[in-house]
Amino acid sequence: MTAPTTTANAPDETPVTGSGDRRSARRFGILALAAAVVVGLLLGYAGGLLTPKLTRPGDTSAEAGFARDMTTHHSQAVAMGLMAFQKGTDPEVRQIGVDIATGQQGEIGTMQTWLRSWGLDPAGSEPAMAWMPDGAALVKNGLMPGMATPEEMTELEAAKGRDFDVMFLKMMIQHHLGGVHMIDGILDAGGDPEVTRVAQVMKNTQQTDLANMNAAVKRLGG
Amino acid sequence: MSISTPGGPERRPTVVSTGKKPAAGRPAAGDRTAKPGAGKGTPRQGSGGKGRKPITPVKVSQGRAWGPTALITAVCLLAVGIVGYAVYAAAQGSKPWEKRAADIKGIVDYRDKDKDLVKGGNHQQGPVKYTVLPPVAGPHNPAWQNCMGDVYDAPIANEHAVHSLEHGTVWITYRPDLPADQVAKLKEKVVGKEKLMLSPYEGLDKPISLQAWGYQLKVDNADDKRIDEFIKTLRVNASIEGPNALCTQGVTATGTTPRDMGNQMSDQTQG
Repeated sequence: MTAPTTTANAPDETPVTGSGDRRSARRFGILALAAAVVVGLLLGYAGGLLTPKLTRPGDTSAEAGFARDMTTHHSQAVAMGLMAFQKGTDPEVRQIGVDIATGQQGEIGTMQTWLRSWGLDPAGSEPAMAWMPDGAALVKNGLMPGMATPEEMTELEAAKGRDFDVMFLKMMIQHHLGGVHMIDGILDAGGDPEVTRVAQVMKNTQQTDLANMNAAVKRLGG
Repeated sequence: MSISTPGGPERRPTVVSTGKKPAAGRPAAGDRTAKPGAGKGTPRQGSGGKGRKPITPVKVSQGRAWGPTALITAVCLLAVGIVGYAVYAAAQGSKPWEKRAADIKGIVDYRDKDKDLVKGGNHQQGPVKYTVLPPVAGPHNPAWQNCMGDVYDAPIANEHAVHSLEHGTVWITYRPDLPADQVAKLKEKVVGKEKLMLSPYEGLDKPISLQAWGYQLKVDNADDKRIDEFIKTLRVNASIEGPNALCTQGVTATGTTPRDMGNQMSDQTQG
């Protein structure tokens, strides 16, 4: 009789294998759940670790390019501004000079702090102005828009009196015009809101400077 | 559970279900231990002719089980991949410049070799004797050499140049016999960029030598990729005074004798 055998066997077997299976299945379920939780936590951790890295400006970003190039651009304005403060004869020229020198040196600090907080070097690996769509074409002899050549700087250094004042104003006007163009570049690119905010403040300042310097040139008969 | 439809004896489904749950694989062993000597199929066959039907579902369910397993494996692999990448990226991105500098082949790290030398920059008038030439650190003149991407066509004073290094400058020097096209390549790297300067240097044992505060690298020609690596890694970073230290207002004149004027500007207007 097969039926009895099966019944005899089955009850024997069902409890053993069945409960064993259920137990192992439950164990498997718990393990799977634990594994899923651990995997989920790891994913969350990795996501948290990655997100700031992926969202902050990278080494070739427009933000990083702007911070580096504008630091270089500003450095020359600081050089010229300090010269005006030391050598200018016209009080307004001296005043504008020291204002630009200290203001832009401060902005250099801001931009260098960005780079550091983004984990980037102050020096880039891309050519100057590569972050702007028409950037490369604007670089002349390694100089960014509006920047004075070494020869012009030597000339300015040698100039005296009213000549110096007018020469400084004209060079700084060019410098600011180039600077505003670069600032427009980062404003167009959008991106990091803090960068955009600071860039807008730079633009406001330089446009005010431009108005005042143009008036001063006229006043000095340049 | 399609097996329940035939309406067979109650046990059968239980047996079948036991056969099903094992889908994960393990239970097969359980079957064997429960009925020594008997094959997997034996108990099911015993349950009647209809018992054969369950066999197929069992196989199917075993096959089906690979789905979740594969999915879980895939998810785990993906997770491991993401976590691995995150850790790698985080470790790589935060690799400090000091470590990256150490990776440049042939670089000499005087911060490691001579801690006292690199400690700081006392100002000192007149000539200073440097043990390392071109110098990489140490006491220096109160006036720094102008380092606004200046290209000097004649040797400059060590005492001013070391002050520029302290401000974060990478100073590139070349042997006066370096071919003009090589000099032009170096010039291109320097001009218009603050915290860089270039000058010829007498008595170099290699054609080109690069200096940053506490670091030196000597190379044979201007096309060496390590030049750009050195600049990228150490310009400003190597400064012990930070990115706001000035490069303008420095001595723009050449000549190896340091100028003892406190005010560089009047120095310049004189010279």
